[in-house]
Amino acid sequence: MKRLLLLAAIASTPPGAARAQGTAVVYGVVRDTLNQPIRASVTDVRSGHGTVADNNGRYRLTVGGGTIVIRVGYVGFPSIVDTLSVAAGDSLERNYRLEAAVVELQPTIVTAAKHSQLLDQSVTSVSLVSDTDLARRAVSTVDEAVNKAPGVLFLNGQVNIRGSSGFVEGLGSRVLMLVDGVPANQGDRGGIDWDMVPVADVDHVEVVKGAGSALYGTAALGGVVNLITRDIPVGFHGQLRAAGGTYANPPVNAWQFRDYTGDLGGLDATGSYGTETLRGSLTLGGRHSDGYREQDKSDQWETSGRAEWLPEPGTRVTASGAWTSHQYQNFPTWCVPGTCDTHGQAYQPFMIDNSGRGSYTRSNKGYVAGTLDRTSSPSFAWQVRGSWLRTHFTDANPDDWSVANRLGAEVRGVFHVGGGDDRVLTVGMEGAHTGTTSDIFGDSGRVGDHTEIELAPYAQGEQRIGRLRLTAGTRLDHVTVSGAEPTTVVSPRIGAVLPSALGTWRASVGRGFRAPTVAERYVTTRAFGFQVVPNPDLRPETAWSFELGNSGPFAPWGRLDAALFWTEARQLIEPAFITIVDPVTMNQTAAIQIQNVSRARLRGLDASVTVTPVPALTATIAYLYLDSRDLTRDTVLSFRPRHLLTLSPDYRWRSFSVGADFRYTSRIERIELEDVFGQDPRVAARVLDLRAGWQQGPLSARLLVTNALNYIYNFVPRTLEPVRTISVVATWTY
Amino acid sequence: MIATMRSRAARAALAALAAALLACNEGLHPITCSGVCGTVTFSGAAPESTQAVYVVAYHTFPRSRDSLFNFRPPLPSLHALPLGGLPTFYDIPVETGRYEWVLAVWVKQGFNLSNADSTLREAGFYRNPADTSQPGVVTVAGGTEPADSINFVVDFGHMHPPCHYYNPPCP
Repeated sequence: MKRLLLLAAIASTPPGAARAQGTAVVYGVVRDTLNQPIRASVTDVRSGHGTVADNNGRYRLTVGGGTIVIRVGYVGFPSIVDTLSVAAGDSLERNYRLEAAVVELQPTIVTAAKHSQLLDQSVTSVSLVSDTDLARRAVSTVDEAVNKAPGVLFLNGQVNIRGSSGFVEGLGSRVLMLVDGVPANQGDRGGIDWDMVPVADVDHVEVVKGAGSALYGTAALGGVVNLITRDIPVGFHGQLRAAGGTYANPPVNAWQFRDYTGDLGGLDATGSYGTETLRGSLTLGGRHSDGYREQDKSDQWETSGRAEWLPEPGTRVTASGAWTSHQYQNFPTWCVPGTCDTHGQAYQPFMIDNSGRGSYTRSNKGYVAGTLDRTSSPSFAWQVRGSWLRTHFTDANPDDWSVANRLGAEVRGVFHVGGGDDRVLTVGMEGAHTGTTSDIFGDSGRVGDHTEIELAPYAQGEQRIGRLRLTAGTRLDHVTVSGAEPTTVVSPRIGAVLPSALGTWRASVGRGFRAPTVAERYVTTRAFGFQVVPNPDLRPETAWSFELGNSGPFAPWGRLDAALFWTEARQLIEPAFITIVDPVTMNQTAAIQIQNVSRARLRGLDASVTVTPVPALTATIAYLYLDSRDLTRDTVLSFRPRHLLTLSPDYRWRSFSVGADFRYTSRIERIELEDVFGQDPRVAARVLDLRAGWQQGPLSARLLVTNALNYIYNFVPRTLEPVRTISVVATWTY
Repeated sequence: MIATMRSRAARAALAALAAALLACNEGLHPITCSGVCGTVTFSGAAPESTQAVYVVAYHTFPRSRDSLFNFRPPLPSLHALPLGGLPTFYDIPVETGRYEWVLAVWVKQGFNLSNADSTLREAGFYRNPADTSQPGVVTVAGGTEPADSINFVVDFGHMHPPCHYYNPPCP
């Protein structure tokens, strides 16, 4: 049978390809100690060429002939490194058994240093969201899973890493999102579209904390989130994923707002085919939600595709892209007396302010990217990529629209001096051209165009001295925006990693920055009843980020990762009230303008403990203590909760699994526009998610109950967070 | 030894989870009043020059132009009342304290800070139940003890300019 499989696989390879190129084939099955197949990654360490086992654990990897080193890894398991010999034109069967471990002993990451490295070699904190995390939480978009990562909190869709972003209505994220290393923040607003990539395509997510501008430039002020998409396995494969669910009704009659129960559902289909040299995949999907509040319905259609050409070991050409069309109603703010009929209540969290009735958004977004990766030798690898990111939204009530096109390119070389990891030099150049056409971000409320050009060389060196590993690098960003002064920012970073008997110590100091977005400079609209006026003279906000951390096992059944962090930020870009004078009537009125207003300090402790008291039970406790100060106004920084606690136990028994996430977020002490919303009720958030799963062969079913206690709360003013949602996700995988 | 530690860790995790769950009932809940609230009843027709009508509260009765804008809640938090029709519930989010005057303010079109005396009118106020010729004092004791049932009439036929209440009053 195995020989038949091998023959079938070889038959799918272009005739004579293996022998002509001096290649060989390693194949087999990867299972865990319970004999369950694992979708492990199998990599030729020297060439970097790898594959992913299918759902039956089967893998097939083409390698160069001779002595090779194979690494078999999967999140949650210690990797196996296997040295073997296989002659050119021959094949070799190797089956692997991964033993479940308390911790990921040596996971590989690619984001922290822009090249593949072990997690313990990173000088900054990195959290991983594995495909297991994504699957068992049965999420529809990636942010729902990233939200549970240690130190990460979403405020109405805006991601905060250690309190970096706060909340500014989606404008100007201080976190950079990448898709396989390609920057994907919106070109006009700088925010993040988490629905850009279908969740079915995402293999895992790397969350790099702290200033990352030394390698990634603008927006990486508070951290970087990199969505790593799935590799395409050899042969035919497919996946069908259907989801359906229901939202809880308001917990009290006084808040009822509709006479039916809201539903949600979706369907995604993925198909792929791969040979040793050519691979392709396509995903199509759609979903609908009635929403859990008044005027909260949404419909989404998405597609993504990927093609790979592997002409020889060590060379990979990839073309990928995704497109999402999302139509959704907007919930402006909840209603209070005077803005709707509150039925005698002081506020109605499920109902809208009537002035926002009829408000909806059509948001189309997508990207295409092409990448050439080449490992020329054990000591040198390089990459060239180009990308096009497009976002286009159209709002109704208020009527606004914007189209942004971001063309990006990067060339990068990685030198492993001597062929090992003791001395690594990464050198690259990144450039981008963003064009925005808009009425709201145009020319004082009229349609206008703006162009932004970024050019940035960067370099980073890593040197091992004994057990100590030193890292130093810098990046020079030159940003030109039409109608504004050009700016140049230098972002250096140094760091060190020291393995010891008390775990691995890491320390780093780095500078981050974020250039103001076109939206922040030129926005002209009305918000909260005030005119919002442009400010073309905005300057970049900057921050110095310090971190001292330690990670490692504290017992055979437990592991700790903890970091003290300290960020000093200057020229923070925030909304502020100003007085403007009507040129005709000379009347003075208040208005909102985005300004460089604040000096700020964010410091605290970010810690997580993972324990496995019994083999089938794993629990993670993560805690973030955040001390944030607005030094200009001598107050707590707005939208930064002081405490964030997450408990995540998971238990597995044969084909069944159960788990939970409990998250406590302390009451937000201060919000922007305190004069308007300061008297609104605010509470701490205590949210419990429950999940159960079953998997048998190609079928799996997962039950998810988010906010199981139907805890009613909000983070940002007059915006209700999701109520209890019960959903079932069924997946069939071929 | 390790087994004991594992058992302790498991028990600690379960205890932490149980404690967390027990503390889970402190979310938002319905409230009928977030500061001062009640029902306003309308009398007469709103003038065509009306820009808006708001309910505001003063800690201290404004006896001069200087204290005219010392009302709560602040300007950005104001929500306009309907201009007539059926009795309407209102709720103004104000902080804890004693308020000497809770009233409806009529705002004329063209209002700005410099012409306030001619473009603002008192259109009705909460009255002392024991002496309805006098304003009633309202005390907001805190989030759990708002001042509800602060009901009064908005009479568009009997409105008074701010200086009517100044000391000395306007001619």
